[in-house]
Order: sequence, then C-alpha cells, then structure tokens
Amino acid sequence: MKQIKRFIKYTFIFYAVIASLYWSFIRPVNMNWGATSAEITMKMPEDDVISSNRVVSTRAINIQARKENVWIWIAQTGQNRGGFNSYSWLENLFGAKMVNNDLPNPEWQNPQPGDTVYYGKNQPFTVVSLVKPDEYYSLNGWTFYLQPVDADNTRLIVRYPSMEIKQSNFNAFYYYALFEPLHFVMESGMMMGIKQRAERQQKLTKNEH
Amino acid sequence: MNISRPNIFYKSVAYNGAVAAIAAVFAYSLIVMMYVLIRSSATIYSIMETGERTTILLASGFSVAYSVAIFSLLMAAFSSVVGLVTAVILKKSLLYFNPRFNFRKAILISGLTASALLTVIYLLLYTLLEDWMTFNYIETLLFWFLFPAAVFFVACIIGGGKLNKILNTGLQN
Repeated sequence: MKQIKRFIKYTFIFYAVIASLYWSFIRPVNMNWGATSAEITMKMPEDDVISSNRVVSTRAINIQARKENVWIWIAQTGQNRGGFNSYSWLENLFGAKMVNNDLPNPEWQNPQPGDTVYYGKNQPFTVVSLVKPDEYYSLNGWTFYLQPVDADNTRLIVRYPSMEIKQSNFNAFYYYALFEPLHFVMESGMMMGIKQRAERQQKLTKNEH
Repeated sequence: MNISRPNIFYKSVAYNGAVAAIAAVFAYSLIVMMYVLIRSSATIYSIMETGERTTILLASGFSVAYSVAIFSLLMAAFSSVVGLVTAVILKKSLLYFNPRFNFRKAILISGLTASALLTVIYLLLYTLLEDWMTFNYIETLLFWFLFPAAVFFVACIIGGGKLNKILNTGLQN
C-alpha cells in the first residue's frame, strides 16, 4: 500500500507541474497560436455579437493553396456534413460519431445562414450565422476567415468566442479546466486538417490543369 | 470495544479500496495521455512544416496532458467511491462464500464480484448515456469500456487475493 500511495503522490505532483507549466507558458501561446498582432486585433465578421462575458481566441495558419481550395473544406463543416477535419479518433473517443471526409461533396458546398451544424451525433448543434463564399464562414461568432497572401497561399484566421463564463463559477471552471485546452487541441487539429486537405486539393487542381 | 473492531476493519478495507481505485485511475490516465500525445503528435509532424512544428507540438502536447490531468482528478474522485464500495462488497463476499479462505476460491469470488459490479456500472452508464454510447469506433470501445473494465477486473482479482490473505491471517491470529 505504501508504494501505491507513493505512486499517487508523484502522479499528483506531476499533474501539478503540468498544470503550472500550462498556465504559465502554454495557455498564452494557445490563445493566439500562429496569429500575428495585426490578425489578433483585426476586426472580423460577427465580432459585434461577441459579449464581454466571453474569452476570445484568434488563431491562424499558413496554407499553400488558393482560398477557393481552402473554402471547400470550411463550407462542408459539421458532423452532419463533411466533418470538422480534426482528429477523428479523438472526436469519436467522445462519442461524436464523426466522419471527416477527404473528398469535397458538392451537396455541402453552398452553406446558408440558418443551416444546422452538429458538433457530434445527438450532441449540441449550432447554426451558420454568416457566410460569404471563399471569404468567411461563421457559426455564431466562431468565425473562419480566409485572407489571400498571394495567388497560391492563404491565411486561415479563426476567431473563437468562449461560452458565457464570467457570470457563472461552474461555467468558468468547466471552461478553463477542461473545455479550453481540449478546444485548442481540436481547433488546431481542425486548422491543420483543413491545411492538409486544401494543399492536397491544390496539387490535384494543378495536375488537372 | 469488541463491537467497534469490525467497523474499524471495514473502514480500513474501504479506505484501501478507495486508494487502489485512485491509483488505478492515475495509472490509466498516464497511459491514455501517452496514447493521445503520440497519436496527435504524429499527425502534427506529418502536416506542419519544420519551422512551425515545435510550437504546436508543445502547445498541443501540454494541452492534452493538462486536460487528461484534470479529467483524471475528477474521475479519481468518482472512482474512489466505486473502489470503496467494491472493497467492502469483496470483503463481505469473501467472508460469506469463502469461510476457509481458500486462495483459488477467493480469486474466483473476486472475479465474479468484479463481473457483477461491471455489469451494474455499465448498465447504469448505458441508461445515463444511451445516445452518446457507441461501439462503432475502436477507440471508444477500448478506452471507455474494455480497458477500464480490464483494469477494474485485474484490480479486483489482486485486491481480492490480498484481502483473502489478510482475512486468513487475521483468523489464524
């Protein structure tokens, strides 16, 4: 029993070290991973609907593809559509029943405001609130913005407002302790998934021409 | 004084059961953490260019570790109650069905007790999480059901064996 108690003690210390490193060094990076100062402060569609009770992150990634080839994957976002392009195995570990399509589906290429987007099967859903093809797509403030760098490169900038957390201790605990780090893993995974698919699509398009 | 002795022993059994359950959750969480870290890092490595890899590997890795740590602390609190109840049920079962403290019989009783409790726990989970539960994905099946069940089963067998030995020694004394 002594060895078991020692194991618990050292695991607890290990977890405490991880938590302090996360809060001191990692979280500040996570909040604006990949984004420049200009991108963090830039005005984005739907910024007006984000209340001050929310924590806002802005993340960005370079994609070596034209924005049309990036848009394809954003347009078909949703468990009830082409998936979230993130880690399927991790999404399904939480019962999302997610299939991330590797092929664009023409049926899902024209999202409209009011379209339902499920996060997982029988899980919460949201609606497309604002959309401009090849430019931006927003799910109630969670906005995906495409900024062309040159003819063949695009910046994908993603702004995410948290749930209302500042009025509820339970919400704040849930958000900071579990949701925020997991959301970062999934959202960065989604951005990398979009990058991978868009760059593959770009190569296919070039080969066709 | 004589009346209070068995209660103290039950307290000790319950306490050890809770401690063993917390240790099992922590051990399991470390394995899950390693699995998620390795698999997500492999994906990141294959997608991101050399200059952009380090930041996202560290950021994602620590976020995974932090989430698993918090989740395992919450699960440890829940599991300690399961461990406590299991230990008490194991002791009662061993005393009732194995009065001679035969080791093989103790292992069998522990295995059957573990199976019965697992059935109850999973039926309860199924009732509460019916819509969320799926066995279509290997990760869900393994990490939420088969592996935890295996850990619980093995812990019950080892714990039951040790408890049987303690009970036997106590009887001889």
